Amino acid sequence: MPAITTDLNIALLAPELALAVVALVVIGLDLVLPAERKSLLAYLGVLGLIAAGALAVGLGGSTQVGYAGTWIVDPVAIFFKLLFLIAAAFVLLSSIDYIRRRTDYQGEYYAVLLFATTGMLMMASARELITLYLALELTSISLYVLAGFLKGEKTSAEAGIKYLVLGAVSSAALLYGMALTFGLTGTTVLPDIARQIAANRVETSPLLMVALVLVAAGFGFKVAAVPFHLWVPDVYQGAPTPVTAFLSVASKASGFVILLRVFTVAFAGLTPVWAGLFAVLAAVTMTVGNVGALRQTNVKRLMGYSSIGQAGYALMAFAAFLPGQSPAVNSATAATNSATVSALLFFLLAYALTNLAVFAAIIHVSNRLGSDELADYAGLSGRAPVLSLALLLGLLSLVGLPPMVGFWSKIYLFYSVFNAGVIWLVVVALLNSALAASYYLRIIHAMYLRPAPVDKPLAADAPLGLALAASVIAVVVLGLLPSPVFQAAASAAANLRP
Amino acid sequence: MQTDWGNWGYVALFLLIATGFAFIPLVLSPLIRPRNPNPVKQATYECGIETVGTSWIRYYAGFYVYALVFVVFDVETIFLYPWAVAFGLLNWFALIEMAIFIGILLVGLVYAWKKQALRWW
Repeated sequence: MPAITTDLNIALLAPELALAVVALVVIGLDLVLPAERKSLLAYLGVLGLIAAGALAVGLGGSTQVGYAGTWIVDPVAIFFKLLFLIAAAFVLLSSIDYIRRRTDYQGEYYAVLLFATTGMLMMASARELITLYLALELTSISLYVLAGFLKGEKTSAEAGIKYLVLGAVSSAALLYGMALTFGLTGTTVLPDIARQIAANRVETSPLLMVALVLVAAGFGFKVAAVPFHLWVPDVYQGAPTPVTAFLSVASKASGFVILLRVFTVAFAGLTPVWAGLFAVLAAVTMTVGNVGALRQTNVKRLMGYSSIGQAGYALMAFAAFLPGQSPAVNSATAATNSATVSALLFFLLAYALTNLAVFAAIIHVSNRLGSDELADYAGLSGRAPVLSLALLLGLLSLVGLPPMVGFWSKIYLFYSVFNAGVIWLVVVALLNSALAASYYLRIIHAMYLRPAPVDKPLAADAPLGLALAASVIAVVVLGLLPSPVFQAAASAAANLRP
Repeated sequence: MQTDWGNWGYVALFLLIATGFAFIPLVLSPLIRPRNPNPVKQATYECGIETVGTSWIRYYAGFYVYALVFVVFDVETIFLYPWAVAFGLLNWFALIEMAIFIGILLVGLVYAWKKQALRWW
């Protein structure tokens, strides 16, 4: 049993506080910096993210609970915090040129992005429904602003409005589900909810089923699971491309961390119910995402559908949860569940790095060619060989080919789901992987096998190149040496306790 | 699960009374009031000033920014009142905490000011 402290230990909030302060400083400095030096704010933001990461690592190791049980810092929280921080840092670096070209409000963009990241850090540590909801809203509202940030462009404004309206509806569903849960259990602290459900024997209450489905719907919107995915294509296409990258990586991962907390802790007693629900959701999500991507001609839209498909794979982890985690802990069941969680963590990290690499390349093409159409990727390999190679490696990792990290993440995930006995779902996922390969290969085909309309090489972009190189190197190195990170995911998963 | 329906009875009672409070005057007043309509009486009432034109006109978008800034300070007072009332019971920690809170709001105000949101064009 880890040591539990319930005091107001401000050290537990250190990464969030540091990042919020940096965001405020960015807003302040934005007022005094001349327009041509605003990119300094992005570098300041990256420094802030690194500082928050160092503080998060400093908190790591043990499990600490504070603020009357509403806040938890455990290895899983640290793992997700680092994922969000890495994603935000790469997105900031990739944004500099893109944002400078398109808007005068650069400082606001960086600050709002940092606030969204702060909200995600909070989501990773929330152990109580209201804290969780506040963190979710801080993230969501920031992301609504970011999606519509290029308000002069019709598509971006459309993306912002659609995201806002659909997001508000999903928030309402989520709140209703949370309210019903509170009504039935009398508490908002996640482990207490599980205890009250067990004590009052309301596992089969129809009202609790309604609450469960509403909460799943609210979180499903966040991770873009079918049937809550309808916003994805339009928002991904219309939003500024770095924001699309952020949505597809960090926002999605934040949806999974709250799914993990709420369903495996608060609704632990209902595991058979929601595991079945998520099995169907996962199968439908990956199929709709991958089939939808087949006929896309816009790369951002294609990556939107691709991200739905990938969310479907990740949701499989929830279908593979075995009941009986608590209170009667069966060690074999616990080990299987722990393996599933570690596979999910590793999958999300691998997906994040891979997608960041792919999006960095897309942002660069978007800056230089002014287009996100697949047709304009024709002959890119001749015009930008290094960029094309990076995009090739990223896409192959998304397909799941060795030696990229995407291969290992899929193997671990599919294997753990197979181990848990949900074999039909693994078959569906394998078929989907084969299907998905075709549309990822279409981008590669366009880059390498189509003739280029002009031979003009693409100019370089230093900060974006740094982000692209770092993420591609991570994709390849983790593909060759996956075990250290997988060990980290496994030990984090083993320490996942309510 | 044992549900205490008695508490919900109170809720129902309140709902009933609240609904009645709104509807009874609506139903009652036409029955007991005098009825002598004339053009002046039927004109749209707006603070005693004669109405001019329609309400379907363009508003100046600047109002929106003022409203936003106003809301920020409105919320600030909501937090300041209970803090001020309980100040005698609180210690230095609360004072510093409120200073930080107001400091964050001040960043917002300085931002709005520098971005000329407070200027009337």
